[in-house]
Amino acid sequence: MATLAVDKERLAISRLYARFGFGPRPGEFAESLSRGLQSTQQSFLVKPDLALIQSQLKVPDVEDIGPRPPAGSTASNEYSTRLRNQNRELALWWLDQMATTDFMLNEKMAWFWHGHWATSIDKVKFALPMYDQNQRLRTHALGNFATMSQEMFLDGALQIWLDGQDNTAKAPNENLAREFMELFTLGVGRYTEEDVKALSRIFTGYVVARTSGALTFAPRRHDSSPVTLLGSTRSFRAAEAVEYLVDRQDCAKFISERIWYRFFSESKPLPQSFAGQGFEDRNIDELVSTFINSPYLSEADLPMVKSPVEWCIAICRAFGLVPSQFSNPQTLLNHLSKMAQVPFLPPSVGGWPAGGAWLTSASAQFRLNFSQYLIKSIDLAQLREVPRADRINYLKDLLGIYQLSPRTEDALRAVVDEPARLILLLVNSPEYVVGA
Amino acid sequence: MDTLSRRLFLKLTATASVVGGAQVLSLDEIASAAITRPLPENTPILVVLTLYGGNDGLNTVIPYKDGLYYSLRPDISYPQEKVLPLSDGLGLNPSLVGIKSLWDKKKVAIFRGVGYPNPSQSHFSSMAIWQSGQNNYQLRSGWLGRWVDTQKFDPLLAINLGSVLPPLLVGEKRSGSVLPLGGYIKPVGSLVRDCSRLSLASPTDSPLAAQAASSLRDLLTVSAELSPILSSPTPAPLELPTINGGNAGGDNQLSQQLDLVSKLINAGAPTRVWTTSLGGFDTHANEADAQAALLSNVDKSITRFFSQLSQSTRGKDVTLLIYSEFGRRVVANASAGTDHGTSGPVFVIGDNIKGGFYGDQPSLKSLVKDNLAVTTDFRDIYASLIEGILKTPATAILGGWKGRVKSLLYKQ
Repeated sequence: MATLAVDKERLAISRLYARFGFGPRPGEFAESLSRGLQSTQQSFLVKPDLALIQSQLKVPDVEDIGPRPPAGSTASNEYSTRLRNQNRELALWWLDQMATTDFMLNEKMAWFWHGHWATSIDKVKFALPMYDQNQRLRTHALGNFATMSQEMFLDGALQIWLDGQDNTAKAPNENLAREFMELFTLGVGRYTEEDVKALSRIFTGYVVARTSGALTFAPRRHDSSPVTLLGSTRSFRAAEAVEYLVDRQDCAKFISERIWYRFFSESKPLPQSFAGQGFEDRNIDELVSTFINSPYLSEADLPMVKSPVEWCIAICRAFGLVPSQFSNPQTLLNHLSKMAQVPFLPPSVGGWPAGGAWLTSASAQFRLNFSQYLIKSIDLAQLREVPRADRINYLKDLLGIYQLSPRTEDALRAVVDEPARLILLLVNSPEYVVGA
Repeated sequence: MDTLSRRLFLKLTATASVVGGAQVLSLDEIASAAITRPLPENTPILVVLTLYGGNDGLNTVIPYKDGLYYSLRPDISYPQEKVLPLSDGLGLNPSLVGIKSLWDKKKVAIFRGVGYPNPSQSHFSSMAIWQSGQNNYQLRSGWLGRWVDTQKFDPLLAINLGSVLPPLLVGEKRSGSVLPLGGYIKPVGSLVRDCSRLSLASPTDSPLAAQAASSLRDLLTVSAELSPILSSPTPAPLELPTINGGNAGGDNQLSQQLDLVSKLINAGAPTRVWTTSLGGFDTHANEADAQAALLSNVDKSITRFFSQLSQSTRGKDVTLLIYSEFGRRVVANASAGTDHGTSGPVFVIGDNIKGGFYGDQPSLKSLVKDNLAVTTDFRDIYASLIEGILKTPATAILGGWKGRVKSLLYKQ
């Protein structure tokens, strides 16, 4: 592989915006270049003010809509419409947050955790429990992982998703217990099948109200007999078991692995130097800070593919588009759906794929169509005012792109007179779809 | 997601074959292979259609001469005069006119009361059982994936239409491949020139950026030699209704999937197993219209599929299997729909199939906890397909299963 001149500072800043944010807003990238990497890193890591984040959030129109009225009635049809509208509203609401937030890292981490505790409205059905889960993920996005894990265990949507209420003393269901160790806290191979059985008995006894996600504990359904979990034999309460799992060194390693996988490389293994460092107290902000301040931020050969949501939101931020304000926002969701990534609809409890998964010919085609749709909403006047010779560099900085190959520069120069075509090609270029 | 589907899922992600990755095929690859190393003439081909959501078997193959059918389902039964009569007091859903005509030509085998012991009424669990081909949680792979394991490695041997590899094609050692739909629609106008510039190989590309470039290039490089295969015959797309019948997985573009399969089969693709799907059968509410529309989609899509196949010598080699993860409850629920049930009919269609009914019709008199009894084990059908169509010993693939379809399935 030939290389272009290396500019570590630009590379690191480009990665900060693309990976630890949702892409720069107009002017932000150039401003970061001028004040330097260190200052940019610091501004990403400013401790978020949760009250301020919440105060800036719109409140989506989701509420407990209760049980379905008798079929065939007008009320039943209205109920279906309301359910559908709430679910659509919720997805657009979150896309709006991503596209407009001032707290990029916090929102990006909420998105990361959504893929980690991946729960789908496909099975949960109701918007309210999904919204509550989303707020939980946002509140603890950079908080303490032990606290987050306790709250997520008691999360109604997650309990519904993983059949928590089918897990009773009489008939244990291993679903939640298994995922809790395998996908949420420890990682595969760091527990035995006996531990899965033990944990599922500890987790028995919870009942969820489907439409609200409200969780209650029913002692009669709970199995309180002593079990052996990862070498410790006692009568665990669920909260004690969660604490016990999160305390393990394997948990620090696992969460570090997941952050590495989503922010640095889906194919290269976690470097030894990160095996839990910075996560001694299970503080997520400290762990993320360790990654952001590491030399890997500017190390070559760690490209990452923008997932469809990340790609779409980065374009929205650069051009000031707000998803819910598109003339028919459902079309935007349809495009995301074709690209196989809609918020609140992960394909499975393992979250979305990464890397080359998004680079099929089918996705290239859907991406082209999607960008044609997005560009219709972009005000091109500003780009027209930029002298032709400067347009490519202007867009590079606007979108926070590290570098362009001579191949892409050539393709862009050929259409530099036509702003819409220029943007279309740039956002579909290998250098934009795959961040350096 | 239950234990088994989770296992299958992990296996999928571990082999990086969920959407994309090494095992995603381009049409180029398949079409080139069809030209350079076509499937030998007369090789049997299996096409699988999975109906996701739990198709209501009792309103698919209808016991229209049984008074109990009408008394148990007063609101969602089909009147006798609308049912397409077969024999034994059974008839097809009025939407299935194409299948009726194939039945009349003795090309349709209908297995009645198909399921497995202690049926699960969870979509995830039951679909995992059907797709893995076992119900004891011993195997972590799909039945056709394990067949792929027994064959000489060829990524084109078993292909799923759609962007995600379904569990049934996941093997213990290897897996089938996926062919995303729609990847072959070429950009038009100035975009062609623009994209060909943008997708040139560049020595500065990282491996992922190179993959991004080649994915864009693949859109443009369906060569002159291959275009005719993919573009002809080009009947207008079927205008089929879209249905919101729940969301338990499955694709919604069945006719496009089958169009592509028939073209590639006719072209000689070296593929012995194709898998397709249609979602939306989870008809908990207002079932009659939704199921009729879905079955009509199935019927029109497969009618066209067989008619396109009949244009080549390959048509006679193709056998189509249609199944769903479970049937539905006998008595309708309060929403003019049905809740999850147990057994249902399975269709096996093809020129080589001995048409007729197989297995006993579950009695409406002796329900098991409000559900139809299971009279035929699905693994018997799998075993007969693996041995009869794929010409491979089935017992090991099916975890030691020894049952077989009792009467002869194939024409001599």
